[in-house]
Amino acid sequence: MNLICINCPRGCELTVDRVNDEIKVSGHACPRGEAYAVEELTNPTRMVTGLVKVAGTRKPLPVKTRVAIPKGKIAQVTNLLANTTVLAPKVIGDVVISDVCETGVDVIVTANC
Amino acid sequence: MQSDVIVIGAGVVGAMVARELSRYNLSVRVLESGSDVAEGASKANSAIVHAGFDAKPGTNKAKFNVWGNKLFENVCKELKVPFRRNGSLVLAFGADDEERLKELVDKAEKNGVPVEVIGQEELRKREPNVSPEATAALWAPTGGICCPYELAFRASENAAANGAQFVFDAKVVSIEKGWKVVCEDARTFTAKVIVNCAGCHSDELNNLVSETKYCIKARRGEYLMLDRDEEKSFSATMFQVPGPMGKGILVSPTVDGTVIVGPTAQDIDDKQDKATTYEGLDKVKEGARRTWPDLPLAKVINEFSGLRAHETTVGDFILGEAADAPGFFNAVGVESPGLTSAPAIGLWMAECVAEKLGAEKKAATDISHDVSWWPITREMSKKDLADLIQREPSFGRVICRCEEITEGEIRSAIRCRVGARTLDGIKRRTRSGMGRCQGGFCTPKLIEILGEELGLQPEAFLASRKKAPKALIQEALSASTDSFGAVDVVVIGAGPAGLAAACAAKENGAGKVVVVERDDAPGGILQQCIHNGFGLHRFKEELTGPEYAQRFVDKAHECDVNIKCGTMVVEIVPPKEGEIYHTVTTMSRRGGLEDIKAKAVVLAMGCRERPRGALMTPGTRPAGVYTAGTVQRLVNMDGIMPGKRVVILGSGDIGLIMARRLTFQGAKVLACIEIMKKSSGLMRNVVQCLQDYDIPLLLSHTVTDVEGREHVTGVKVSKVDDNLKPIPGTEMHFDCDTLLLSCGLIPENELSKGAGVEIDPKTRGPKVDSSMATSVPGIFAGGNVVKVYDLVDWVSRDSEIAGRSAAAYAKGIL
Repeated sequence: MNLICINCPRGCELTVDRVNDEIKVSGHACPRGEAYAVEELTNPTRMVTGLVKVAGTRKPLPVKTRVAIPKGKIAQVTNLLANTTVLAPKVIGDVVISDVCETGVDVIVTANC
Repeated sequence: MQSDVIVIGAGVVGAMVARELSRYNLSVRVLESGSDVAEGASKANSAIVHAGFDAKPGTNKAKFNVWGNKLFENVCKELKVPFRRNGSLVLAFGADDEERLKELVDKAEKNGVPVEVIGQEELRKREPNVSPEATAALWAPTGGICCPYELAFRASENAAANGAQFVFDAKVVSIEKGWKVVCEDARTFTAKVIVNCAGCHSDELNNLVSETKYCIKARRGEYLMLDRDEEKSFSATMFQVPGPMGKGILVSPTVDGTVIVGPTAQDIDDKQDKATTYEGLDKVKEGARRTWPDLPLAKVINEFSGLRAHETTVGDFILGEAADAPGFFNAVGVESPGLTSAPAIGLWMAECVAEKLGAEKKAATDISHDVSWWPITREMSKKDLADLIQREPSFGRVICRCEEITEGEIRSAIRCRVGARTLDGIKRRTRSGMGRCQGGFCTPKLIEILGEELGLQPEAFLASRKKAPKALIQEALSASTDSFGAVDVVVIGAGPAGLAAACAAKENGAGKVVVVERDDAPGGILQQCIHNGFGLHRFKEELTGPEYAQRFVDKAHECDVNIKCGTMVVEIVPPKEGEIYHTVTTMSRRGGLEDIKAKAVVLAMGCRERPRGALMTPGTRPAGVYTAGTVQRLVNMDGIMPGKRVVILGSGDIGLIMARRLTFQGAKVLACIEIMKKSSGLMRNVVQCLQDYDIPLLLSHTVTDVEGREHVTGVKVSKVDDNLKPIPGTEMHFDCDTLLLSCGLIPENELSKGAGVEIDPKTRGPKVDSSMATSVPGIFAGGNVVKVYDLVDWVSRDSEIAGRSAAAYAKGIL
């Protein structure tokens, strides 16, 4: 099957073949591409960036998952973010939700407020 | 920064001195360590204009008290400050006290103050609430009441109208002869004359320059304030026979209609300690009950304390030039009757300084009498108020219900020359928050208005009631340094391009570097690009837009780059033959129109989106059609969702990113329509923004009709042929309420063209060489203003070249 690597703007076109239990990848320009392809077939993950509310203001605060989370959990996480309100002040890197939706990943603030 | 005179301290004395000085042909600068006028002793005191019978004959206190009292009526009229000569009564409780009254009569005669002693019967007739224990009283008809901070505000406004400059948050830490004043934040000011009006700290300043040392003890006085209901309790100011620590506990109406009770007198070591105490307030109650046995404690709305600057070595006002420090004038130890004396001290001090400098009074026609007065709605007739609201609707919206203060008054108090920048600043200028609920209802609205007026988040004003938010102090700091003199490099735009260029200029030896930014915060468009994927090349990690921007903002601060936000460049004029400076004209709410002179200019204005008109899409012109970046700002920064069912025209990266964002925020993205055979955005974005969420990407399609009269109700989409012409019969219909356009970016070069920079018709940006120099010598360009980049890492890289070149040009080596 064919995949497009999303690791960097280059967007390498990967060819992935599954032979028995072995996954063969070609077309990647760097090792990250190979890792991406294997992960995409076994446990696809994505970074999630989003917004949470800040008490007392309409201006939202941007957040992200510290690392990528399983793709299947994205909807659950974005729903949770939509219903999350935090208190100012916050600085970049502050944790707003730890172990979000049992992914083992924290949601952290990406702008100061 | 140079001026003729520096006044240190913006209390009522400093403000009156500055006002009188500003009437001479002198440049006057007032340095104040607090964030506002009247932050020290002038903020909290009895607000009494003393008749002058109490001061020891022959002292400065006696002279300036009596003189000041005479001036008060006129000064308050000129400054439009409320003042009432309600008279003072000094109560005697028994024979001993009555003997003391005679001493006061004697002193009053020597000081030239009219007084008379009245008996118990007359006293009770005039003041029915007075204690039956009071056996006689001294009546001084010239005693009065006023509002000390209002006097200080209006005097400052008038001084500013006559050219005096007020610098706040400027705590003086050193003074060198000749006179050079250095502040805590390293700002330096020079002047021919210094006037020390620093209240409780005036001894410290004097002791920095003179061998005659003074010592001020802060004398704390605690007070209670009673509700307006009690306005009629007493008509005169009720003193008791004075003791060694001051004039004792008084009960007095105020010009605001409340009743003030106090003060205690306690010498303390900490000159900032304005706490109230159980013991102190008990003493106030106890003392006040001697005068007013029925003191209604249930009517107390506030308790507070203030500090008097009590000088311990001389015990009098120390006024005039220090003998061993020519050009250094003192107003040290100005405690009670300091408020009363302030108009006289101001007049006298200004005369001394003018004589020293040989300065003339300005022509009468050149002296402004403006005091930035605004209508006080509470005091207006119904008709006048109705007229005012019709003209200025904001004067019809009541913000403080207890004191009936309107939005118009509050905005005026922020917008005036020496405007409020804190909750306390508004409270004291307008009385908003001073009534029964003490700010309970109006605080949320006040911080919102402060935020709007001063370009900050409302919550910034909750950190301190009296200290201005850090961002404002920083802004004032950079404004006070850049608006004077010339700079090496001006960078236009504080996005990644501008910040990278500014830092590079600084790192390559440029002197002063200023970045001018039209938005309220630095960071440019990255502030709204909350998705990740930035910085792989430069930082070797994937950052979100705001994180990437913050790294450059932090770096700019480290590099000592000045960033002026909320400021728009309106014109760049290159130097004429023989000159070296470009003139960059800026416009801002605070600074008005200002010119910055710069040896080199870096253009970093970025780009804008192609609007609908440029795409020539047929159909109606309803609401609901936006460019992708507009919606990105609405959703990510303003918290506004423009619609629920969305079609995206164009597959630029912003459009793709917004497809995912709007999905996350609960909208349904129906399709992304692209006229070309492949997406114009990055493939990774097609995968992770469209495919991940099953959003169809229709290649070789375009929108051929937009439907809806008021608001978008749907769009028609057709397939196009190889010549990009719609193929009849291929129409499909989408029911949607929003159409997003993501059809490319155009470098923003109006300023560049105005400066005569040659534009490349292909890139639509300036023609640049390998040093990022444009066709105009000294003007460089970097980032999306030159050509539209895919990656911010290349924007910052190329802009650094522009910054380096600008630094070299400014140094004369390019």
